[in-house]
Amino acid sequence: MSSRSRSSRHQGSSRISDDQIVDLISKLRSLLPEIRNRRRSDKVSASKVLQETCNYIRNLHQEVDDLSERLSQLLQSIDPDSAEASIIRSLIM
Amino acid sequence: MMHNPSKVRQKIMKKWIMGLRSCSSSHENLSLSERRWIIKLSADLALASVRNGSRRWSRAIIEEASRNPDNKGLIQRMLGSGCDYRSPCLIPREGRSDGNGAGHVTKSMWVATSSKKIVKRCRRARRSNGRAPRRNEAASIAKRLVKKRTQLLKDFVPGGQDMDDVSLIEETLDYIVWLRAQVDVMRALAHSLPATTSI
Repeated sequence: MSSRSRSSRHQGSSRISDDQIVDLISKLRSLLPEIRNRRRSDKVSASKVLQETCNYIRNLHQEVDDLSERLSQLLQSIDPDSAEASIIRSLIM
Repeated sequence: MMHNPSKVRQKIMKKWIMGLRSCSSSHENLSLSERRWIIKLSADLALASVRNGSRRWSRAIIEEASRNPDNKGLIQRMLGSGCDYRSPCLIPREGRSDGNGAGHVTKSMWVATSSKKIVKRCRRARRSNGRAPRRNEAASIAKRLVKKRTQLLKDFVPGGQDMDDVSLIEETLDYIVWLRAQVDVMRALAHSLPATTSI
C-alpha cells in the first residue's frame, strides 16, 4: 500500500489531489464501527470521519490502559499456590 | 488490509509475553503501578516490533519510549540490539534536522510548499471575487473544520506531528488496524486469567 501511494504522489503533480483525500477518508470511514453501521446512503462529512477516528483511537488507547490495569491486578492477586499460578508463572513470569 | 489477523495476534502475544518474562526477576517486588507500566509498555513495544518499523507510527512508539531512560532495558530486551529503531531496517535519524528519526525531509518540505501555494491561491481567488457567496463560505468553514480535526488526529497517532495530511491518514488507517490487534491480544489474556477473588 505504501509503495503504491508513494509513486502516485511523485507523479510530478505538486498538489495533494482531492481524490486522494476523498479515497483515504472513505477507507477510514469503512474502518470505524460507528459510521459503518449507518445506512450507506447517509453522507458523512470528512470532518465527521476525522472526529470519529479521533474518538475511536482514544477509546482504543483507553482500553489498553484499562486492560493493563486489570491485568496488573489479576497477576497480583493470583493465589501463588494454585495450579493456575504455576501455569501463568511458566508462561509470563 | 491485514493478511492474516490471527497470525498477527499470535506474533504480538508472543512478543508481549517475551517482554513480560524478561522482567520476571523483579516481578515479585513490583508495585501495582510498576506492574501496570510494564504490562502496557511491553504490549506497545510488541505491537511496534511486530510491525517491524515499516510504518512511521511504529518507529515513533519506540522513539517515544526510548526517551525515558527507565525503559531502555526493556526496549533492548524486546527489540534487541540488532534491530532497534536506529538500525538499517528502519529509516535513520540523520535525515531530519530536528532529530526526529524519519528521513522524510523532501516529502514534508514539498507538502509545506504546496499547501502554502493552495492557501495563496484561495486567498487570491477570494479577493478577486468581490462578493462572498454563502456556498463558498460554507465550503471554507468546512475546510477549516477538516483542518482543525486533522490537527487533533495528529495527537492520537504516534509520530503524527511530523506528518503531512496524506501520510497522516495513511498511517492512521494502518495504525487503527494494528492497534485493534493489540487490544484483542490484551483482552484475550485478561479473559483467560482466573478472576480475582480478593477485592
